[in-house]
Amino acid sequence: MRAIRSFVMATVLVALCGISAQAQTRQVTGRVTAEGSNEPLSAASVNVVGTTFGGYADDQGRFTVQAPAGPITVRVRRIGYQQKTVTVGAGSNEVNVSLVKDPLQLETQVITGTATTVSSVNSANAVAVVSGEKLNAVPAQTIDHALQGKISGAVISQNSGAPGGGTQVQIRGISTINSNFQPLYVIDGQPINNAGIPNGLNVVSQAARAGTTGNFSSSQDQIVNRIADINPNDVESIQVLKGPAAASIYGSRGTNGVIVITTKQGRSGRTQFDFTQRVGRSQISNKMGPFYCFKSAQEVTDFGFTDPGLDAAAWTAAPVKCRDFEEDLYGSNKSIDYQTIASIRGSASTGTTFFISGLAQRDNGLALNDFYNKQALRINIGQTLGRLNIKANSELVHTLTQRGISGNDNSGINPYTTFSATPTFFDFHKLPDGSFPKNPSVAVQGNNPLQVADQLKTPENVYRLIGSASAVLSLLARETQTLDLTLSGGIDAYNDAAKIYSPATLYIEQVNANPGTIYNSNGNSLDAGLRLALAHRLVRSAFSATTSGGLNQARRELDITAITGRGVFPGVHNVSTATQSFINEGINKVKEFSYYFQEEFLTLNERLLLTGGINFERTSNNGDASKYYSYPKYSASYRVPFIPKMVDELKLRLAYGKAGNQPTAGKYTFLTTLINDGLQGARPSTIKGDPGIKPERATELEGGVDLQMFNGRTRLSVTRYRKQIDDLLLQANVAPSTGFTTQFINGGQIVNKGTEIELGITPIDRHGLQWVSNTTYARQRGLVTELPVPAFNPGVGSFSTRFGNAFIQKGQSPSVIQAVNGCKELSASGTCSTANRITTFAGDALPDFTMGFANDFQLGPVRLSSLVDWRKGSNVINLTNNYFDGGLLGDSAVGNQRLRDFAAGKAVYLEDAGFVKIREITLAYDLPRGLRDRLFASRANKVTLELSGRNLKTWTDYTGLDPEVSNFANQPLGRIQDVTPYPPSRTYYFSVRTSF
Amino acid sequence: MKRYSAFVLGAVLATAACKDNPVANPENAPTTDAIAGAITRTSLQTLAIGVLAQDRTAVTSTFTFYTLSEIYARDAYRIDASEPRYVTETIGGQPDPSSFAGGGGWTAFYTAIRAATGLIEGLPNASTSAISANENKASLGFIKTIKALDYMRLVELRDSIGVSIQASDPAEVTPISCKPTVLTYIAALLDSGLTDLQAAGNTTVLPFKLPSGFTAFGRNYGVVSNIILFNRALKGKNDFYRAISRQGGQPALLATAIAELTQALGGAAPGAVPASQFTVGPYYVFIPAGSEAAPNPIADARLGLNPKFRDSIQAGDTRASKIVSRSQLTFTIDPRVTTNITYVGAVFSAANQARPVGIIRDEEVVLLRAQAEIEASQFAAATADINSVRTTYGLAAIPTITSITEGRSRVLYEKRYSLVFEGDQRLVDLRAYGYLREPYITKELPADPFNSAFPIPVGERDARGGDFACQ
Repeated sequence: MRAIRSFVMATVLVALCGISAQAQTRQVTGRVTAEGSNEPLSAASVNVVGTTFGGYADDQGRFTVQAPAGPITVRVRRIGYQQKTVTVGAGSNEVNVSLVKDPLQLETQVITGTATTVSSVNSANAVAVVSGEKLNAVPAQTIDHALQGKISGAVISQNSGAPGGGTQVQIRGISTINSNFQPLYVIDGQPINNAGIPNGLNVVSQAARAGTTGNFSSSQDQIVNRIADINPNDVESIQVLKGPAAASIYGSRGTNGVIVITTKQGRSGRTQFDFTQRVGRSQISNKMGPFYCFKSAQEVTDFGFTDPGLDAAAWTAAPVKCRDFEEDLYGSNKSIDYQTIASIRGSASTGTTFFISGLAQRDNGLALNDFYNKQALRINIGQTLGRLNIKANSELVHTLTQRGISGNDNSGINPYTTFSATPTFFDFHKLPDGSFPKNPSVAVQGNNPLQVADQLKTPENVYRLIGSASAVLSLLARETQTLDLTLSGGIDAYNDAAKIYSPATLYIEQVNANPGTIYNSNGNSLDAGLRLALAHRLVRSAFSATTSGGLNQARRELDITAITGRGVFPGVHNVSTATQSFINEGINKVKEFSYYFQEEFLTLNERLLLTGGINFERTSNNGDASKYYSYPKYSASYRVPFIPKMVDELKLRLAYGKAGNQPTAGKYTFLTTLINDGLQGARPSTIKGDPGIKPERATELEGGVDLQMFNGRTRLSVTRYRKQIDDLLLQANVAPSTGFTTQFINGGQIVNKGTEIELGITPIDRHGLQWVSNTTYARQRGLVTELPVPAFNPGVGSFSTRFGNAFIQKGQSPSVIQAVNGCKELSASGTCSTANRITTFAGDALPDFTMGFANDFQLGPVRLSSLVDWRKGSNVINLTNNYFDGGLLGDSAVGNQRLRDFAAGKAVYLEDAGFVKIREITLAYDLPRGLRDRLFASRANKVTLELSGRNLKTWTDYTGLDPEVSNFANQPLGRIQDVTPYPPSRTYYFSVRTSF
Repeated sequence: MKRYSAFVLGAVLATAACKDNPVANPENAPTTDAIAGAITRTSLQTLAIGVLAQDRTAVTSTFTFYTLSEIYARDAYRIDASEPRYVTETIGGQPDPSSFAGGGGWTAFYTAIRAATGLIEGLPNASTSAISANENKASLGFIKTIKALDYMRLVELRDSIGVSIQASDPAEVTPISCKPTVLTYIAALLDSGLTDLQAAGNTTVLPFKLPSGFTAFGRNYGVVSNIILFNRALKGKNDFYRAISRQGGQPALLATAIAELTQALGGAAPGAVPASQFTVGPYYVFIPAGSEAAPNPIADARLGLNPKFRDSIQAGDTRASKIVSRSQLTFTIDPRVTTNITYVGAVFSAANQARPVGIIRDEEVVLLRAQAEIEASQFAAATADINSVRTTYGLAAIPTITSITEGRSRVLYEKRYSLVFEGDQRLVDLRAYGYLREPYITKELPADPFNSAFPIPVGERDARGGDFACQ
């Protein structure tokens, strides 16, 4: 530790002492405009090549920069435009630059470290960049929904159609079996928390089976990952560092990629006020039904329905014989969705820049009382005080979600569980006296899904503050070198208060020993970080070199307390009145410290970029908490100078890096405390710890070619990578007869290889008509290349090998699905006994490839954009079909056959889950100036009307509700279980966007 | 420049000033480090309760011991629309070793055995100032008896498939031993426990507090003399099934079993055990709420009794009060079973969630002795023991039985109604007698199986690298 402190102090002192008199300079002024329209371009960055001098254009497009004497070259860049360099003679102090539009986003700044960036023109990594504009093209409930189909190499899947998020992001395949598999999210430099806190649905669903007295919450609680809280409208841009080659700076949190979100900042110039109002509707986009409809009273008797209220007489008496249960429940919510978004962006006369935004949003679920409400307020301010530049960003968010009941259940409460056993002449609707008919077909529970939708409440309230601040001190700003010291810090703190109110009046409660259940939980999460970075930039005519180093400190705490009460008087929401109560708490604390050095060297006329860096990190999650693990990276990119005429740019790049995935458990063998008749007892846990547990180590080699052609009208980027993960964190199964069931070890290896292609073209750009097309393609193959333990079922959430589960075996893909599919010898009745079942590898959870097609057409004031998401291959286990088979499924011949095949040992519930989805469509129209001025008294400078839709159409062979489904949240493997999920919805929006 | 120096210094110090020991303590739970070192009186209390609590968890955490065994014996159904495997993998088909229906009743017993082994190995090193030599021996004898109980349950559930005898080294995976080997091992373990108990002296009291299930039901098992009764009851039961085992049965052990069971009954002669003593024994007590959250698993709204259970009861048998009516339960796929009765203790109520269940109470010991007497052709003694039970429940005494076959049928009747839902005894008896077939019990559909034992769970099989036979 002492060595690091000495290094930092020495560097700072050298820098402070190194200041000497400045050389002779002059001032160059100019104006930046858009080519064609001649409109001024504000916020364009202007740099004098070969020096550190630079500045920004104001809202009139004017700029002033320092420049050395003699002829100079000025480079002008702006997001959305192609960069341009112009020469200014020694005698001239004025230059005007016009920039050409860049619909393909050929040029952006991509991050290389905590304090450094590089132009994408030189970047050695395939960093995906999504602009705020693209992100918010069509309203999405949450930011993760908005990213679907926009990042090549990322498989982003919604767990179900329930409102309010719950999405898994998997970048470049499966990189872990037992540790964290989601990418790290960083907002304005501060890593934020993406935990998913169970809401306690298990107290009523008993999906994890012990829900009466233990396991009050489970991974089957239809969990929302908290990234859902972020307001996508505040996003300026998102950069995705896809793997260790780019993300080694994030150490043991970088293996799964890093999603770096930059929010909008204030800017100098005229204050801009934006206001957007959106209204919309969601409707069920796919159904399991129509369910079987009895054609005669005799048929009812023959089927075996003899309960009073469900017998032949009831069929005769029923006014409607063939009800659509799904419409009764999931068509019941007619509320209007809305989003109101307002923001102000500008600067005060004191030089303080600000961006202030607000959001109020309501998205309705399909069933009554299901909704997602969000309010967000963001204040980003910036101020320069002499050599010090200070920025402070903060976001305050409140979300309130009611997701209702969906997913696996063992209590019979799930709507689809009930639908699968109820004949369609039964009417669930409320009776005139206010009560709901008790459903006799599910004898124990009498469950009525409309009663559940009416009376069961599942509010989850999240209050979240994400704040970060940074101060950059310019220690040195000279013609040829700069030295900046950056101190930044941030916190991400939230409280997640999830409640379940299941009143004793519910039929489902009346079978409980103590009817009436409340679950009341509080999750308190804090992620905090403090970072110090020193960046030195040296610019010479032959090269420029950026040297940086820094220290990072982080701590994370998550504490969840939950009280479950049984036996609560109807209508009472106070858990202290319960007859029986149960208390649970889980605590998790982590501390981290790291330091890094990095050198970037750009030379050969800015054609060759060489980068090297190393990051040393320790974390309290490692067995040895004081040991530093190193994560180096090296990369090179070269812009080939001799290229055919139609080619604008040809870049070759190669990057190598290491990152890690820290253990989240496994350091200790805990004592499991047990109580017997009030006496405290303890025994060793069945999970054996490893005091030497260490991070998984991922090594990635990534290479690619970037090509620009036809004056920026075509962009092609091809990337190949090989990602090798060693020292896998294995929760290896041991023979339970030893007294332990699992053991944490490091061992084994996975190799993921893949290809990513991005093609952007502008096929038409004339006479005011522009067509911009972006296509992404990604394919990856994973292989378990070493496994020091016997092949095993990771047991992370599956039902039975007869249906299908994840399985880890050397020589197989880590995402392979193992299932019973075949029989050595059928019995006389056509069934397959346990001993005769043949277990095989029957599918894979990850797709063969994914493609995204984004197309934008602009004709004058009219814009049409669309996004199509294609996933080829991948399998899902459709247990929902199993609920209906042999019973009341509409096509009962198909269901009965499936059931017979299942008994004969066939993997009939494993289905191809490939799909093509129209994710987004927007038709926008900019009001002409005359109309705009009349409507808004000449105050508005842009008014756009939009019609948009999300998830409008799906083509798939999958027979369930939606091939994008997971009964389990937050696990890398085995998620692909479709168990009576919340049905998917399609959403339509009408929006008015105004800018003043 | 000077005004920025403070900022620079402050920034550097703030970031670099981190402690050199960043270990966050495991605040969720204690670790095994907390009990490393010699056993003290305090840690003995905690660890002994750990063994007892885990033993109770083992019989309750999966449905195998109480519920699935009664379903296998076709006395009970569990009908649940959202979980057909309670029927389809018990009486309607084969159990799946990867599902709860086939894979339960294994791991939790071995966890209890591991906890017991840790204590048994640690006790000899305990400080004598904290725990006297006699107390130490008493504790050893008690824990060995509980460990033997867990092995008995394992082998009852797996029968001829065999079970593993756990090694002292937690990393060692031992072969699956066949049933005779396991029964012999259990006998030795119980005898070793007896030796310790005898060394401790009859009046020695355990140096730790027991759950009320071991003290509040007519006998205090905190005193060595009573632990010996418990130990002998298990030994007698084990020796009886060893004697009649169809795999290497040793008829010579019948006399031993009768002697041990008689010792467990305090020396009472056949027919001499008073009805008031039938409920005496060690029990599991259940506390459904609070941090303990251990309800009686039989309190289960989805449970029902096979209608044949009611149809077969003799007129006047007061044990009919154990059968109560319930709302109709119907299983809608093959075999389409249905019932509208259930066990009185299965009614889902707070009282039933807290209802204690005997581990081996004297009524069972009397009937076990009757079983041993029948196999030894001591028909008068057997009849006396059977009649002591019959008369307790308002039934007429039977004349002296005349054959082993008649005796088995008589004793099976009494055990069925006396011990319903008190464990897997009916499955064990039907299987031991070779009665797990028609006409002794009835299947629902011709294609349905009579499952006799649970398979080795898939986790165990996979960890051993595939299928195997017992050795």
